[in-house]
Amino acid sequence: MRRIFMIAGHEAECWLTHDGSRFVLNMPDGAVPCQLDPTGAPGAHVLRTGGRAHELRLAVGSESTFIHLNGRTFEVGRVDPDDRLAGREGAAGGDRLLAPMPGVVVSVAVKPGDTVTEGQPLLVIESMKLETTLTAPRDGVVAEMPFTAGDSFGLKAVLAQLTPQED
Amino acid sequence: MTISKLLVANRGEIAARVLRTAKARGLATAVLRHVAEQEGPAHLIADEVVMIDGPTPVAAYLDISQIVAAARKIGANAVHPGYGFLSENAGFVAALEEAGVTFVGPTSEVIDLMGDKVRARAFVEARGFPIAPSAIEDDDPTTFVERARTLGYPLLIKPSAGGGGKGMRIVREDSTLKTEIETARREGQRYFGDGRLFVERYIERPRHIEVQVMGDGQGNVVHFWERECSIQRRFQKIIEETPSPALSPEQRLEICETAAGIARAVNYRGAGTVEFIYAQDGAFYFLEMNTRLQVEHPVTEMVTGFDLVAEQLRIAAGEGLSAAQSDIRQTGHSIELRICAEDATADFRPAIGDILLLDEPQGEGVRVDSGILDGGKVTTDFDPMLSKLIVHGADRAQAIARARNAVQNYVILGVTTNTGYLDAILAHPDFASGDVSTGFLAEQADVLTAPGEDVSTLLMAAAALSDQRLVTDVMQIPEMHRKMGGWRN
Repeated sequence: MRRIFMIAGHEAECWLTHDGSRFVLNMPDGAVPCQLDPTGAPGAHVLRTGGRAHELRLAVGSESTFIHLNGRTFEVGRVDPDDRLAGREGAAGGDRLLAPMPGVVVSVAVKPGDTVTEGQPLLVIESMKLETTLTAPRDGVVAEMPFTAGDSFGLKAVLAQLTPQED
Repeated sequence: MTISKLLVANRGEIAARVLRTAKARGLATAVLRHVAEQEGPAHLIADEVVMIDGPTPVAAYLDISQIVAAARKIGANAVHPGYGFLSENAGFVAALEEAGVTFVGPTSEVIDLMGDKVRARAFVEARGFPIAPSAIEDDDPTTFVERARTLGYPLLIKPSAGGGGKGMRIVREDSTLKTEIETARREGQRYFGDGRLFVERYIERPRHIEVQVMGDGQGNVVHFWERECSIQRRFQKIIEETPSPALSPEQRLEICETAAGIARAVNYRGAGTVEFIYAQDGAFYFLEMNTRLQVEHPVTEMVTGFDLVAEQLRIAAGEGLSAAQSDIRQTGHSIELRICAEDATADFRPAIGDILLLDEPQGEGVRVDSGILDGGKVTTDFDPMLSKLIVHGADRAQAIARARNAVQNYVILGVTTNTGYLDAILAHPDFASGDVSTGFLAEQADVLTAPGEDVSTLLMAAAALSDQRLVTDVMQIPEMHRKMGGWRN
């Protein structure tokens, strides 16, 4: 079965199979037999791969698996291969400005129809007591500015939309 | 006056920390909780929890009349404000006074004086204590920009009513001075309801050194030595320690006695902190005085052996200080790490999530002041600081080693935290040698957020094998193959 994981901002693809006696993790650059066994304490497991045993703690969240290994904590995002294909049908990433974190709009500098150049300030937001100016990701024309000053927004809300680029 | 029942008008780790000492002293205790707030350690420690409400959770904790009413309703005769929220609000102190409730802290006059950064500087300067060259807008608003310019770049713009680094801007070029002034004014207006500014010469590569003071309001003031807080990001402290590795014994005594002198000049009552900017050449300048308990007070407790909250409660009850200056000594070294829900690899974006697994480090010289519980939820309603990890060692090297070991074994799963980033700071050779300034984190940003050893294969294997749906699906495949094989026969 194929899986796509998101580790430190990078997608990694693998297939998990079972050869009748053990699991095998297949990656583009090789395959490793692996086994994961709980050891008793909450979330504690031993992962055996390639003849080595690694103690770790893990917790499975709704979208990510959190793993504490070798004194470091990692978040491994689980990407459903089907969702990712569906996402590609949507607007190109460069057309939208998504909220990097939840917050409040402080001021809006442009309106729909305005021509903007890359790096031009579009709006100022405040999140966690910090003011951030969000700028145009490319040259273009503003299609939508869904929020006005004082509005609250959630993570990944569309804060600005440029009209799609013509090829 | 005897304190019989104490209301802690705060939340998170500091509420829990204050409640522990209050209970140990035999007081009846109560704490606030916003109606939409997750249960935290403080709610389990307090004898009583008073629900509060407001347009936002933070607004509820700033609602003076609601909190004073809560204190009266439950019969609390004293309120401990913690830090932040109403801890430095003179109006809150006055409202409590009127209601006959003791405020655990200084008088409203001192809070007012020290809360106005401009007046505080003038007060300190007039008494012969050192301050950095500056221009104050209020002296003559029409010439403010011109006077700022003549100080010479780089400059630091600050809101007059500010604190905690909010609204502060460094300006290096004349071309950006005016826009930065306007931004700082807007931020000051929003955070503090006051857009007045002042500008001072920005000291290059400064260290932040502060001194813990405590006064009984009867003229007796002692200091509990210094803390170094140079490890800051955007003026927010992340790692604090004591003793400062920068000071010689003579400098230490000088800066600590200066701080005590400033506190004495206002006949200080309660716990306070005098902050200084310490220049590379050894000169130091008064920055501000915080008229409350600081986030980083535990490092002082670890090296002096005093419980600063117990001292606060003694003073508020009129019992005075438990120690004379000669009783207060530094033993060993202590470091505090602020554990925050944020992603250091994504410009410190605040992180939210459910705490799926929590396992705090333990061991010799390890203390955890935590504001979270296993199974809780981290939201953006409040500050991203989840807890504080404090260690003590016989010397600085041992303290660093213990801090690294403890932070590596601090397991918080379900929400991204800065534990890896904190460990990277502790592992940096410049931190080990003590050669840092308040610019350290910005200068070393790339080094500190560099990815460590690549363990992605292990992570993928663990994530795949702990995915129950995936494992079930994979296990069904051989079965299907067997069945298909059967059909062929």
